Formats: sequence, C-alpha cells, structure tokens
Amino acid sequence: MKRFVALFCALILTLPLLASCGTREDDKDKDSDGKTILKVAVLESAYGKKMWENVAAAYEADHTDVKIELTAEKNLEDVIGSKMKSGDYPDVVHLATGREAGLTETMIRENSLADLSDILDEKVFGEDVSVKDKLIEGFTDTAATHPYDDDSMYMAPMFYGPCGLFYNAGLFAQKNWTVPTTWDEMWELGQKAEAEGMALFTYPTAGYFDSLMFALLCETGGVDFYNDCMRYKEGVWEDKNAREALDIVARIASYTEPTTVANANNDNYLKNQQLILDNKALFMPSGTWVVGEMADAPRSEGFEWGFMALPAIDSDSDRYSYTYFEQIWVPENAKHKDEAKDFIAYLYTDKAVKIFAESGAIQPIQGVSEILEGENKLFYSIYDTGAKPVLGGFAATDPVEGVSMTDTLFGTVNSIVSGDKTVDEWQNAIKKANDSLRKALKK
Amino acid sequence: MTEFMRKHKGRRAFLSVCTIPALILFSVFMLYPTLNIFIISMYKWGGYSQHREFVGLDNFVKLFSDAKFWQSFQNTVLLIVIVTIVTMAMALLTAAVLTREKLRFKGFFRVVFYIPNILSAVVIAAIFSAVYDPSRGLLNTLLSFFTGGSAGQVLWLGDQKVVIYSIAIAMIWQAVGYYMVMYTASMSSVPESMYEAASLEGAGRVRQFFSITIPLIWTNIRTTLTFFIISSINISFLLVRAMTSGGPDGSTEVFLSYMYKQAYTNSSYGYGMAIGVLVFLFSFALSGIINLVTRRDSVDL
Amino acid sequence: MNRGDKLYRIFIYVVLILFALSIIVPVGWVFLASLKENAEFYQNPWSLPAGLYFENFARAWQEAHMGEYFLNSVIVTAVALGILLVVALPAAYVLARYKFGGRRLLRTLFMGGLFINVSYIVVPIFLMLVDAGNLVGTPIFLNNRFVLALVYASTALPFTIYLLSGYFQTLPKEYEEAAYVDGSGYMQTMIRVMIPMARPSVITVILFNFLSFWNEYIIAITLMTQDWAKTLPVGLMNLMKAQNAAAQYGQMYAGLVIVMLPTLILYILVQKKLTQGMNVGGLKD
Repeated sequence: MKRFVALFCALILTLPLLASCGTREDDKDKDSDGKTILKVAVLESAYGKKMWENVAAAYEADHTDVKIELTAEKNLEDVIGSKMKSGDYPDVVHLATGREAGLTETMIRENSLADLSDILDEKVFGEDVSVKDKLIEGFTDTAATHPYDDDSMYMAPMFYGPCGLFYNAGLFAQKNWTVPTTWDEMWELGQKAEAEGMALFTYPTAGYFDSLMFALLCETGGVDFYNDCMRYKEGVWEDKNAREALDIVARIASYTEPTTVANANNDNYLKNQQLILDNKALFMPSGTWVVGEMADAPRSEGFEWGFMALPAIDSDSDRYSYTYFEQIWVPENAKHKDEAKDFIAYLYTDKAVKIFAESGAIQPIQGVSEILEGENKLFYSIYDTGAKPVLGGFAATDPVEGVSMTDTLFGTVNSIVSGDKTVDEWQNAIKKANDSLRKALKK
Repeated sequence: MTEFMRKHKGRRAFLSVCTIPALILFSVFMLYPTLNIFIISMYKWGGYSQHREFVGLDNFVKLFSDAKFWQSFQNTVLLIVIVTIVTMAMALLTAAVLTREKLRFKGFFRVVFYIPNILSAVVIAAIFSAVYDPSRGLLNTLLSFFTGGSAGQVLWLGDQKVVIYSIAIAMIWQAVGYYMVMYTASMSSVPESMYEAASLEGAGRVRQFFSITIPLIWTNIRTTLTFFIISSINISFLLVRAMTSGGPDGSTEVFLSYMYKQAYTNSSYGYGMAIGVLVFLFSFALSGIINLVTRRDSVDL
Repeated sequence: MNRGDKLYRIFIYVVLILFALSIIVPVGWVFLASLKENAEFYQNPWSLPAGLYFENFARAWQEAHMGEYFLNSVIVTAVALGILLVVALPAAYVLARYKFGGRRLLRTLFMGGLFINVSYIVVPIFLMLVDAGNLVGTPIFLNNRFVLALVYASTALPFTIYLLSGYFQTLPKEYEEAAYVDGSGYMQTMIRVMIPMARPSVITVILFNFLSFWNEYIIAITLMTQDWAKTLPVGLMNLMKAQNAAAQYGQMYAGLVIVMLPTLILYILVQKKLTQGMNVGGLKD
C-alpha cells in the first residue's frame, strides 16, 4: 500500500511537466520574420481543404509580408467557438449561416461582425475590375450578406450552388418515366412509384426543407411574398399562398419513404441519401454538395445524378430553385481587419476562382459557368433552362428565448411525415414564432 | 499544559492539511461554476460578446410559457419514471434470483450483466444506433427473420411514439447490471437463518422476497434510488445527444439537451443557464421527495 | 423437486440467458463489425465478416489519430486518479473520524456536490479557465491535460469522499489509539495505519473513477478544443461524424473497439474486486 501511494505521488509530480509541455502558444501576432500572421478559419466541407491550402499559398506568394495560419476543420464551430470565447479571434472566417450550431447567426445577433462594404469597391488583385463588378448580380442584395436591412455588407458571398430535387436519372431512363414538371405530374408519378415499391420522396434531415420551402413560397406567392415571409411580416403565414405551400409539403410528407424520419438526424442522414442511390426513393431536396458527399457510396446499376428545380404549380407558372451560398466574414474583434478584407478580395481573383473551381467549389463570378465541366455544368445551368433563382433567407433578429423559426418551420416536417402533427397545428406554431420574431427584428 | 497546546495545534494543522486541498478543488471547480450558473441565469447574453443585460427572473418567466421546455420536462420525467421502475425491478429480481437460487453459471451472468456499465456513453449510443437502424439494424432484421419478410418494420428512432422508449431501453440496458451487482452484494449479507425460519412457517419465494429481502436492504435501495435519478438525468442527455439530437421534432428532447440547444444554437446563453438552475433544483427536490416517500422504520440485523 | 419448481427454474434460466444475450450479441457484433470491409455493411448485418480486415484498425489508429488520443486518455486518467486519491483520502478520513468545527458544513457541502450535474457546470468551468488564461496572457488552461485531469478529480470528489468516509467509519477506533500510544503523530497514523486498512474501498474508488474518467466526453469535448489534445471518446465522436460522412463504417467500429477494449480487459481482470468493493465501500448505508 505504501508503495502504491508513493507511486501515485511520483506520478502526480512528474505528469504535470509532461502534460503541460504539450500546451502550445498560439496567440502570436507576427512570426519570427516580422510577417503579419493572418488567421484564416474555414469549414472543411465536402470540397476538402486542399483548395484552401493552395489559395493560401498563392496569396502568400503574392503578398510576401503576410503569413497565413490556416485552420480547416469539419467541426469549425467547436474549434473557433471556444477560442473566440477566450478572446482569440480568427481574422477571416469562412462559415455559412444555416448550420446546426448557428455560430454565424450568433455573431450576427450579437453585432460581432466587421463591416465589409468597402471590399466591393476594391480592385481585384492584379486585375482591372472591382469586386462588385466581378460578382454576379443579386448576390449582394439579400439578408445573407446584408443582415441588418441597411446598406452595409457584413458577409461576402462565397461558394454558391443551386438547390433543388436530386434523383437517379438512370432510373427514369430505364423505367421510361418522364421527369415531372408540375406538382400534379409529381403526385401521379408518386402513384406509379408506389406500385413498384418505391417511395416518391426522402430527405436528409428536416433542415433541408429550407431551400425547398423558400422556392415553394416563391412559386405559390411570388418573390415579394417570399420576402415578406423572410421579414416576418404580420399575417403572412395565414395567407392562402403560405397555406398552399404548407399543403404541398404535407403532400410530399405523405409520399415520404417510411424510414426517413428515423435517420433524419445529423449522425444518420447519409442513410436517407443512400435511399436515392438504392432506388428506394425517387427525389430528395438537397444542394450540389451531395454528389461529393456520396462519392464513395455504393449505388444501383446505371445510376446517374439528375437534378431539377421544383416542379411548377401549373404548367404555365414559374419554377424556382433556391440558390445557396456560403459566406465569409471578419469578426469585429479580429486583430488584422484590413489584411483580412484584402485577403477576401483576393479570393475573387481569376487565380483563386480557378483553384476553388477545380475542387468543385464555385463562386458567384460573372462567366464562371464557362469553366465548369461534367455534372457541375448540368447543375449550374439550371437557371439557363428556365428556373428562376431565389436568394437570401430570414432576416436577422435578436435572440428570442425558446423560439426558433427553423425548428418550427422545418423541424416540424418530421412530425407531419409521421402524422404526429396536423398542418393546422404547424401553421399555428409558425404564426406564433413569426409574431415573436417580428418584435425582435434588428433595426 | 504546553504539551496539550502543542498537540492541539498539531491537530488543527493536520485537519487543515487534510481538508483544505479538497475544499479548494471543490470550491473552484464545482461550487463556483454552480454559483455562476445561478448568476448568468439572470442575464440576457448570447455567449460571445461582452454585452450582457441583467434581466432578473425574466428568463424563468419565459421558461414557464415555453412549450418546448415543457416537452423536454415531460420527456425527462417520463424517462426517469420508466427507467427507474423497470431498472429497479429488474435489478432486484435478478439479484434475488442470483443470491437465493442454486443456479449454474451464476458468476458468468454476474460478469456479463455488468458489462454495459463499463462502456462509454458514446459507445452505447453507437451500439444502439446499429441495433435500431430501420432497414439494416440488428433488431429489425431479427424481427423480420421471425415474421418472415420486411413487414411490420418498427422505426425505433423515427416513430415519435416509440423513440422515447427506445432511449429508455438503452438506459435500462446500461444500468441494470450495476444495480444488480450492488443489490447482490447487500442481499448476500442477509442471514440464511431468516429465510429458513420463513420457510418453516410456509412462506414461499415471493413472500420471502417481499417480507425479508426487500425490508432488509431497504436503506440500500433508498440510497441507490437517489443516485440513480441524478445519474439518469445525465445519462439520458449523453445518449440523446449522440443518438437523436433530441429529434424527431423534439420528441426526445430532455432537460440538458434543450439547455445546450438554447445556450448554443439559439444564442440564448442566459436562458440556457436558467434551465440549468431548474435542473439543479429539480434533482434536489426530487431526491428530497424520494427520501420522504421511502422513509420506513429501518430494519436492523 | 416438483414440476412447478422445474418450470420455474427453466423460466429463470431462459430469462437470464435472454438478458445475457442482449448484452453479448450487440457488443460482440461491434467486434465482428470492426473486421468487416466497407461493402459488407450494405448486406445483412447478421452475416459474419468475410475475412479479417485488420486494416480498419491500422487506419483508425493512424489516420484518425486514435493512437494519439489513446495516449492522451492514458495520461489524463492516470493524473486524475493520482490527484483524486491524494486529495480525497485524507479528507474522507478526517471527515469520518474526527470531530471538529466546520465538519458538518464540509460534509453538507460535499453531500450537496452529489447533486451537481457535470453536464451543466462544464461551460462555466470553461469560461472560468478562459478568464484565468486571459489573466496570465495566454490560454494555457485550455487544451491542457493536467487541467483536464484536475477538473476530473474535482468533479469526482463528492462521490469519492462519500464512499471512502463510509468505509472509514466502519473501522474500529482501537487501531488509531494503539498507534497514538506507540507515539506516532496524526499524519503518520493516517498514512501508515489507516489508509492501508482502507485498501478494499480504495481499490473500488480507483476502478470506478478509472471507468468514469476513461469514458467521459462532455468535459473533454469542451476543454480540449484542439485536435492533438483530444481524448479517446471525443476522438470517437469525431470519427463517428467523419466516417459516417464518408461511409467508412469499418473504421468507425474499429474506433469503438479501441475505446472499449481497455475497459473490458481491465474489467475481466478485476471484476471480482470491483463487485466486492461495491459492498464494502459504504454504499450500504
């Protein structure tokens, strides 16, 4: 026993040395050569982190006085979130809104983003054109870049992609089915598929209904109506256009593959996406990243990705596709804000655009579709073939305790599918959330 | 006199040396953070900025009209009730059987039943995800083997009426062995002569169980019950977080998972801490109630 | 033995065996699954692995850094156990066997500590460490294995002190009296005489806390923000997320085995002591 205790005492004395020599210093301003250290934190998504390393290297080559310290993580929120709490802010953060952890939303609500408006007028490095003129029109007109309903841009648009319905084009060819262009044709196809033991729909998680719902609101009520919804206007959800959209989602729910809900969470959503590859379900709402996400998954014979905008309400009405784009921003408390803005402007150079595009990450740059190939060409040409783009998202609000529009509007879809809630209950809950969030709108 | 003083002083020094380190660690890493929760619960604060606004009891008032909070409250209580009753009943019965009956492989059963308790919650969640998977899960493929076909698939984690029980099953699976071993230990100290006397009077197994075994280990049951409930609140969170993230549509949201959701995802850190305060008070009150309800005249050997 | 008795025994066996199977089968299945190749996961889950695909382990150990995390877990667990014993043993002993002013208060404090749920104090702890880091200029308290061990030890104090003092209370007074007569001081008596006598409950405490430190993930995930500092369960959570996304099931189950195996081995080795200790450890009262 004595030896026992002695051993533990010895352990305690020696291990702190061992353990603490592992802590690393990472709060440095300049490196040993006097270069400014620019901390760039990016989400490592399906595009991989290699492209960021290449762009960082290119930037360093063009700016010899700056050294880039790149953090690329799949769980970026966990990594930088806790660092920011400790006062250690990255200079540039590439992290979109709409993520589960909602870090970017929190930054917006807390007014913790730096104003990036002057980037737009900056000349792109080595080129004779301003950032504003290089960007595709419309991408800096929404709450996704201008969260406070004023003229200031707080987030710059980065990789974009159309969202819509993904399906197995090979299966449609085999079965000699035509791809539905209206919702009525969609429901007819649902009957046919059911007869073959296939479900019409699945979805990765209920959160994926955001892009579907946004496009659907445009289809039923038009773009102005959609914008009213995004600004929490009074009474929008009692409107018949809103009801029509909710009813269509409920109809989708009734055609949804039965195991979907069980896997519709962050740990198992790939099993739902697998249903498309296995021909167990025909359509799912998603974005272009799904192709990379499922690249290694096994698939049925003759599988080929197909992609379309939402079907139209009538044969003569418009079809819409939500355009998702990721944002890049600078924390208000960053140490090197000017260098950070300069770095962001650099991301729109032809050199950087090309590096990103090689990994499949497409920025909203004029003429970008010309350098695309393969499946991406199909995806990004969706707007050339008649679908109208929908951009933006809900306006920023102060945090409202216990109220979350995304939970209410999208999360409830799980309950509609399983029949635990009715559309009336759903509509009422949305209306309530709408009312309490309107009061909290950022002025 | 001086001798006494010296000794007395030595005693004080000894007591201080023994207790102060524990007191310091406890104060710094448990007491202070707990107090902090009570303080932050009275602020409106997103968690990142320097801006905090004192709102008094506002967060608590909001909690009472927050339907999602009540849902998580209901789920937590439901889990505590079901899991406690089933776990305790199963643990007591298996313990009684393993101590009272002459069985083969007793040691084997005891060893196996205890295994879930040594696994990390992350591991348990992963195991049950594999068990509950709707189409390729161990459970549904086993069921379809008996029913002969894929008919009657149960969506263990997808059906909102089922999912909370699926979580409960995982919790029971995790806990039974531990309490069984604990009760086996205390039951084996009940003298054999009492059972012999009862047998002579014609009392059967069931009578013996209720009139000898249970009363004699009652104090043990009481203590374990309190611990069990406190740990249930925690385990339910660990499992929910790794298995369903509170879904589908909040149907497995429990106290602590909702607290995390509000504090992090909804930028309402102060509000989240208010939930933390309620959980603390709730577990305190609950163990008080249990203490009261289970009070019996203790039977001494 | 009459017929009813026989049926009763059969019934008991069936129930016990079913219960045992419900544990052996899923746990055993994870071991088998860790040897499967990726494509096999799309077939019947009950099928045996086609071959022994040990590459899963090699890849989990190296590519997913489970090897590094393993070392972190070993260090943190060992240091935490060391601190815990050195701090908790004297406190438990004194609280159990000495009457002094403030004793009641201390006991109430530690008893109250039993109700504090680690899951909700972890964030205040984090913020406190952050503030402390800001005071000294660098965030040295985060991603620090020693600090993590200190937090583990501290949060285990209430339960450990409760268990140990329960045991100390059962020891007869005569031992100390004899030691005092022999002229040994308080400290000597405690270290030479009393703590060795508490050996059974000390072993229980070590085993219990080993399991809880080794398996813990909520505190670790919050305090260890950087990749190199992660512990095994946190690494496993990452592996589950990452490998799910790339549908690398084999690697994920290999990771599960890497986390489970040490506790399983330890348990098989000491299971008698562990289960005995629960009785002697004062949980009776």
